[in-house]
Amino acid sequence: MKDSSPWLALLVSLMAVLLTAFLTATALMLGGFSPVVALQALIEGSMGSIDNFLGVTLVRAVPLILTGLAVAVAFKSGVWNIGAEGQFYAGAIAAVWVGLSLGDYPSFFSIPAVFLAAALAGSFWAFIPALMRIRLGVGEVVTTILMNFVAIHLVSYLVRWPLQEERGVFPNTDLIVESVRLPKIIVGTGLHLGFLVAVMLTLGLAGFFNHTVLGFNLRSLGGSQEATRVSGRLNISSLLVVTFLLSGCLAGLAGGIEITGRTFALYEGLSPGWGYTAIAVALLANLNFKAVLLTGIFFGALEGGSGAMQREAGIPAAWVSGIEALVLLSVLASDRLFRRLLGSKWQLKLRESGSDG
Amino acid sequence: MESTRERTVLLKIAKKKTMISLTLILAMMSCRDIGVEGGRNDNEVPSFGVALLTSGPVSDAGWYGSAYEGIQLIEERFGARISHQQTNTPAEFDEVLRAYATSGYSLIFAHGFEYQDAAVRVGQEFPEVTIVVSSGGRVADNVIPLIFELEEGSYMAGVVAAKMTKSGTIGMVGGVAIPPAEATFVGFEAGAMSVDPEVQVLVNWIGSWDDVAMAKEAAVTLIRRGVDVLIHNTDAASFGVFQAVREARESGVEVWAMGMNRDQNDVASEVILGSAIIRIPEAFVQIATLWSEGQLTPGEAHYAGGRSGAADYVVNPNLSDKYDPELIAEIDSIRLGIADGLIAVPRIEFLERAGGSF
Repeated sequence: MKDSSPWLALLVSLMAVLLTAFLTATALMLGGFSPVVALQALIEGSMGSIDNFLGVTLVRAVPLILTGLAVAVAFKSGVWNIGAEGQFYAGAIAAVWVGLSLGDYPSFFSIPAVFLAAALAGSFWAFIPALMRIRLGVGEVVTTILMNFVAIHLVSYLVRWPLQEERGVFPNTDLIVESVRLPKIIVGTGLHLGFLVAVMLTLGLAGFFNHTVLGFNLRSLGGSQEATRVSGRLNISSLLVVTFLLSGCLAGLAGGIEITGRTFALYEGLSPGWGYTAIAVALLANLNFKAVLLTGIFFGALEGGSGAMQREAGIPAAWVSGIEALVLLSVLASDRLFRRLLGSKWQLKLRESGSDG
Repeated sequence: MESTRERTVLLKIAKKKTMISLTLILAMMSCRDIGVEGGRNDNEVPSFGVALLTSGPVSDAGWYGSAYEGIQLIEERFGARISHQQTNTPAEFDEVLRAYATSGYSLIFAHGFEYQDAAVRVGQEFPEVTIVVSSGGRVADNVIPLIFELEEGSYMAGVVAAKMTKSGTIGMVGGVAIPPAEATFVGFEAGAMSVDPEVQVLVNWIGSWDDVAMAKEAAVTLIRRGVDVLIHNTDAASFGVFQAVREARESGVEVWAMGMNRDQNDVASEVILGSAIIRIPEAFVQIATLWSEGQLTPGEAHYAGGRSGAADYVVNPNLSDKYDPELIAEIDSIRLGIADGLIAVPRIEFLERAGGSF
């Protein structure tokens, strides 16, 4: 089964934007706002200039791509990891902790160290639900969600007590030093090294899943766990653990990159639900890694553009969230619609096997 | 065979559709200049741009809503061009501040301490822009913390509490013990002591701003220990305090509550004597006035308190008959004393000059 191409996802996204433009224009007019001003703010804010595209859309896409990859890895292998949010926070905590305690070392040493810490922390956060599934048979849908809440409250505790800034006034950590911060890919824009990391990981994962034995085994696990078990060739438990760890590692890295690339300190509410948006990012990409790169950028553009809609067009935040949701819904709807029109192999296969009516 | 042909046709249609959609997007992008001009009123040139960032919805009828009211007042009085964005994550603070700075907003209100680090970073990048950080703790040349002197309102509340108490014990239920919150209690205690140095002041911190049950428990404990006038500084958890006072009164114990932050007199108008308040919109207008006249001191915090009427104590009109006329007169004279600087309310300093990298 070959995955649909990333270009298809882009095409679908573009179609969806158009469909959405009509839907949102209607909604905006009903609310008494000018749809032209609003939609052009949305487009201009996200890709109206090189600066906006690099510094807003791509920068915002980084955590979405990485958590999107985390979800795609898990779902592809039949692990329902809804815990990217918590794993993201675990990575952010580890990154800020290591970053603060490292002190001033050369970047080529401290940045990899911080990344490693973030990745390990994310993996650890995913390892607990993995153990619970394998040893106790507890479904990871519940445990990973619950681990999200643990992580969110752990952050609240840490920024008030052990990791609170030195002057002890506000609930956030101190700022990490310059040498632990990610360099900018292009000076003068906000685009930091994290984007390159996300792109490389995307390509790496695609290669790993398509061209290695372990990758093949993971895919077969996702295809049918029962078949994989019956084949007797593979150790299901260790494959599951690998999946959980890999997925958690990616989400943890997303947390580490947000700390070292954007905020430089740990704050409460650092993630506005990226770990959950990631599910939409991954599903819209049909769990195709390269397509995750594109859907991640699409979501980044949507988030960045909706900020501009508030600023430039004066549309209240509540309306903007509504429009964001409308965009999402029409993207998902048109995804199915246009995929069918374009006759993807997946659809044909379903039709042949008779499961599609 | 047939399905292949069908697919080819569909693909062709799809390609055509893509071309159409791309053309439309391009068309939309190219007409953006016309649209912007059409969207704005060209008859009146705005004097300057004022932007507001909040971390929560301005429909909260509280902290965020008053800030929005503030910039609306500024628009009205100065003809300024205003804009607001609600931010969702600290990761976008820099981006939004920068977006405002580059599109001609020269006075930016970042409404909350959470913006302070990003404000310093963006402030360094745009020296011509002034960023005002509400309750911020870092000062730079163009990053100005706006400190609300709520302690001046709570000082007046302390005076009232000491006059009203029969047991000689008054109490406070606090949220999280951060300096701005502690300052209000220091003010409350100082006000009470100025009336009666013997008065006993008990404090209970609950470690949360919105845990109603915990606040209620803390209030009950204080009431059991003899507190008969109870103030709070807990945001949403204050409902627990008012509930405890209400229930104590129902069981025959004579206890009063006091509101804080905003006028809470109508939240539980039968038990709240009055509220220590800050007037955020007035403070915003004051800053805009100073700024437009070039009078806003760079590199210094701006204090909004009794002097400008931004901090005050409001008597609950429902219970004004519980006040001695003399006490009402005394409140007025203390208000004047604070405004004239004759009464010095103790405060807690927590400002830091921003240096190094942010």
